[in-house]
Amino acid sequence: MTRHLLKLIWNRRRTNALLMAEVLLSFLALFGIATLAVYYTDNYRRPLGFDYRDVWVIEYNPKGYDPAFPNRNVHIYWRLFHALEELPRVEAVATHSWGVAPYWVPGGEFRDEVDGRRYVADADRVSDGYLEVAGLELTRGRWFSSEDDVVPPNDNVIVLNERLARHLFGDEDPLGRRLPWPPRGDGSRRPGELRVVGVVREYRPRGEFSAPGNHFFARHRVDDPESNGSSLLVRVSPGTPAAYQERLVARLFREAPEWTFRVKPLAEWRAANHRLRLTPLVALGLVVGFLLLMVVLGLVGVLWQNVTQRTQELGLRRAKGATAARIQRQILGEVAIMTTVALGVGTLLVVQLPLLDWLGSVRAGVFAASLVLSAATIYVLTGLCGLYPARLATRIQPAEALHHE
Amino acid sequence: MLRSYLRLATRVLLRRKFFTAVSLFGISFTLVVLTVVVALLDHVLAPLPPETRLERTLAVYQMRFSTRDGRRGRFETSFLLMDRYMRGIPGVERMSLLSTQQEMMAYANGEPMVVTLKRTDADYWKILDFAFLEGGPFTEADVENASLVAVITEAMRRRFFGHAPALGETIEVDGQRFHVVGVVSNVSRLRPIPYSDFWVPHTTDKSGAHRRQIAAGGYVAAFLARSPADLPAIRAEFASRMQRVPIHDDPVAAREGVDRLVAHMEAPAETVARLYAGDDFMAVDEEGRVRLGRFFGALAALAFLFMLLPTLNLVNLNVSRVLERASEIGVRKAFGATSRALVGQFVVENVVLTIVGGLLGFVGAYAVLGALTGSEVIPYAQFRMNGRVFLSGLALSVFFGVLSGAYPAWRMSRLNPVDALKGGAR
Repeated sequence: MTRHLLKLIWNRRRTNALLMAEVLLSFLALFGIATLAVYYTDNYRRPLGFDYRDVWVIEYNPKGYDPAFPNRNVHIYWRLFHALEELPRVEAVATHSWGVAPYWVPGGEFRDEVDGRRYVADADRVSDGYLEVAGLELTRGRWFSSEDDVVPPNDNVIVLNERLARHLFGDEDPLGRRLPWPPRGDGSRRPGELRVVGVVREYRPRGEFSAPGNHFFARHRVDDPESNGSSLLVRVSPGTPAAYQERLVARLFREAPEWTFRVKPLAEWRAANHRLRLTPLVALGLVVGFLLLMVVLGLVGVLWQNVTQRTQELGLRRAKGATAARIQRQILGEVAIMTTVALGVGTLLVVQLPLLDWLGSVRAGVFAASLVLSAATIYVLTGLCGLYPARLATRIQPAEALHHE
Repeated sequence: MLRSYLRLATRVLLRRKFFTAVSLFGISFTLVVLTVVVALLDHVLAPLPPETRLERTLAVYQMRFSTRDGRRGRFETSFLLMDRYMRGIPGVERMSLLSTQQEMMAYANGEPMVVTLKRTDADYWKILDFAFLEGGPFTEADVENASLVAVITEAMRRRFFGHAPALGETIEVDGQRFHVVGVVSNVSRLRPIPYSDFWVPHTTDKSGAHRRQIAAGGYVAAFLARSPADLPAIRAEFASRMQRVPIHDDPVAAREGVDRLVAHMEAPAETVARLYAGDDFMAVDEEGRVRLGRFFGALAALAFLFMLLPTLNLVNLNVSRVLERASEIGVRKAFGATSRALVGQFVVENVVLTIVGGLLGFVGAYAVLGALTGSEVIPYAQFRMNGRVFLSGLALSVFFGVLSGAYPAWRMSRLNPVDALKGGAR
């Protein structure tokens, strides 16, 4: 049966090649959008590692700084920090530097190697209060504290997330292990080493839709004369109204009248991050959806036309005793074979992506799931397209066909 | 001849309503997407008010540096450097320095409100063509005296004062009380030079670092040439002045070991290419120069890729329609119609179809653009159809029609009249 169908398809190869090309292109478009959707869903389900609720991010205008006198700001910074700590509705305060805040897609990744193991990691420099502000879960060792004030300045303490700890040290105990500092290519002027003192379960500052990545925290001293933080984060008591922001800023202005402050709840950063991620997905999804609808309607038309053109052939088969079910099977079988050929070519094309290592942070499981999902969808859609024309084919009367001759 | 083709085309199209409907759906959908993209491009590229003199505008957005130990970096244009070294370039009618937009907190009745603030000078209002709804711009004297005056947009007026006039009212931003001297229409977020909510003299900046420090970036320099013909000479003069900037005298540059500083003047289209494609299609080279050709090449390639599937769909539909009409074609061939005449007839038919689809597409695009504007995905952007967009859309639909009609027409012309008359063909 299949061989016979293949022969029939081959006989009309020019027309069918175009049809298969159309199915192939639809598959590729669907695969692209499906991969993105599955990738986002998969990332979204994984734990984030921090709690964005009731956290406010305070940024200040960098123009308040005078790059010629970096030290002048340390005192102001110190005063701001303590003014915030004393506010009644503020539960914890932390400084944050290198990158801006969670949900801000930070620029720089660090790349280096430890004992021959390469790693790529995001990093933040945060002060001691960050554990409480971000609601991190410590699983090993300890978090930063004032006992780190006495360590020599070129011995920097860090806390890893579990993924980085596992990546670098496997099952061995990461506590007390060292990473080189500065990471290669970074122009920092302070050579030394990074010493691991703790591990947190998870930390994904790039947000829910990003791929889980390696991360480490370095310690920021609020009175560090060489580096200012780039933002302040506070955890406020649950239910603090937005109007409280004005009081908070007024307090900051008292300490630093020439600075410029901006307060934004982390929830708003999160919403902006989600909009940024989802808008392209929704727009592309709509476009691909309409493309598929167009293809489906087009295929119905073409298959319908094919069937009416093949009255003689199908009528002859009926006359020689083929049942309606067999005719229907023939038409649907042809559609299935053409779809399979198109999907085969499509799969060959898309598996080049993992083979060429162009997947980036998309995991193999996500890739496979999107492949299966989009292939199945295409089968269902082409099957649906074939249904009406196949029904039509069964209505062909043998007499009609013979009359045609 | 053409008239009879057209009459025939309408007949044929009305005969098979399902096919026509499906084709029209595909065509109009494709053209909706393409027209929306064209309208978005038009929105960022075309000379819309207040930027009515785009063809003689150049701007400098960023500076790139490299240090002796091989580090590279970039920062937003330095006010001090531009102010000190780039004034009075021959051929430049006006030069303005404007800060990049900064979000600032303003408080009205205790509720926090974010305003987008731009600090600038008096020439800004002469380079751009703002329509003032109330009052007027701030003046050179305001800038010199660091007067706390502000021009705000219509949207800000609504937010702060409801429907009452704003002139003479004060707004507190960043601990300073500004008097409103002018109200202008809203400006789209996508136009970097005019976009803002709230304009104040740059001298009101509390730290004033931008006037003391080359390293304090955060500005854009905009230049208005006397005529478009002067642009190349202005660019050349800018480049040569840039090379002569005594960067080693700057204390911060000396401390950081900066030994090279580059910046380029950009035409508006180059800015768009850098902002939207940048490194993605390598539309910007290492030094920050924009390669416009690559950007538009990439756009054309993307549009073509997108059109591939709808084209194939239409080709398939057309091929089966051709075969359906085999007997008609057979008769015409038997009576001596040339292949060329048949091809012409079919292409005309298809172009008619795509133009009808295109018109439907315009209606769709109009609706989509209205929805986009209404959704405020992009603050204050007014996406509209206009003559340019309409013509580009029409050109696209004709291109699409010819593209999808050519192969089926060729197939049709090759039909053997005998087969065709019998009504059977592969």
